[in-house]
Amino acid sequence: MNCEKYREAIAAEPSWEGGETHLSECAACRSHRDDMRALDRRIAQALLLRVPDLEMPDLPGLDTSNVVTLPARRRIATPAWFAIAATVVIASFIGIRMVGNNVAYPSLADEIVAHLDHEPRALRVTDEPVSDRQLARIVPASIAEMNHEAGLITYARTCPINGKKVPHLVIQGKFGPVTILLMPDEMIDGAVQIDGQSINGVILPVGSGSIAIIGEADENLDSIQNNVMNSVAWST
Amino acid sequence: MNSSNVAAARQRRFDELVGVFHQDMYRYAAWLCRDRTIAEDVVQESLLRAWKSLDSLREDAAAKHWLLTIVRRENARYFERRRLETVDVDNLTPSQEASLASQPNEELDDMRAAIYRLEDDYREPLVLQVLMGYSTNEIAELMGMKQGAVLTRLHRARHKLKDEMEDEVA
Repeated sequence: MNCEKYREAIAAEPSWEGGETHLSECAACRSHRDDMRALDRRIAQALLLRVPDLEMPDLPGLDTSNVVTLPARRRIATPAWFAIAATVVIASFIGIRMVGNNVAYPSLADEIVAHLDHEPRALRVTDEPVSDRQLARIVPASIAEMNHEAGLITYARTCPINGKKVPHLVIQGKFGPVTILLMPDEMIDGAVQIDGQSINGVILPVGSGSIAIIGEADENLDSIQNNVMNSVAWST
Repeated sequence: MNSSNVAAARQRRFDELVGVFHQDMYRYAAWLCRDRTIAEDVVQESLLRAWKSLDSLREDAAAKHWLLTIVRRENARYFERRRLETVDVDNLTPSQEASLASQPNEELDDMRAAIYRLEDDYREPLVLQVLMGYSTNEIAELMGMKQGAVLTRLHRARHKLKDEMEDEVA
């Protein structure tokens, strides 16, 4: 891959993780990639237009007399659903104090739930796994040993939690995406339950750190917890 | 299930879907037509159409794509019916531009204006990818084009925005 091809690819999809061989040899393209990702963050912010309150139109009555059953359907499992759910939880149950341009969170759980809202793109319903290389980059051996027993990992990024950069992973659960935050330096005294109308989760103490696992309200986290705990071992 | 229960369940299902996806529908419409008032009309028409064809949606997991497809078609229908030209963004007043924003911010306003100025063919895939989280495959499916063409438009859209923002700074 040459510079031109790489730059075309990264401009079409700034989150693309390919072309690493070329990147390792080309500082200019690394800089270009960083520029494109910064540009994309600004684009994303600009696209968030203010939305007026919903005004439902007059809906006509429909003849339902011949309908016997409604089609079987799954729960909604989308980024927007989850983002809204997280927002509701934050607003209704926890409460956040705004301090200047920064947000001060009363607890680790609050910050984690708020973080889900900030990264709704992470919560896509997809069957596309992240590459082994991406997973190894986000969860390097210096932090933890991790294998694929946790489930289908569809998102892996490094994110700031409580002032530290930690691996943020998403696996696909039965009812939608399940967020996993590996926090090797975040020691807690005991398990912290996260409950809301639309989400449920837990922060588990693991050695000198902790792991947060958050899914939709109906998600059975027990088996996911076991898989995650079996697949992660702190290196520190 | 008797008919009144069916109707109530249908109404609940619709309300739930709309509650979740209304914001996406509005923003998508607003970026397609670049006009707040028209976007509201397009969303209203889309809600009516979605209500009438709700039973064709078999999986709520597919609701977002289904609703955005309806918005896209309703937007096209709107302009066919009204035979309106799309809004000339150079004629947008600052107050109009501000009314589209969620919060005032000069740098974001510049970016927003630059996005408005993108050709429709470039702006739409960008909105779908960045705002709606669509993959390039999904964009290609929604827009009825090949993935390669989507990649080209996305790459050109970002370069246009980059150039514009650099001009703003210069």
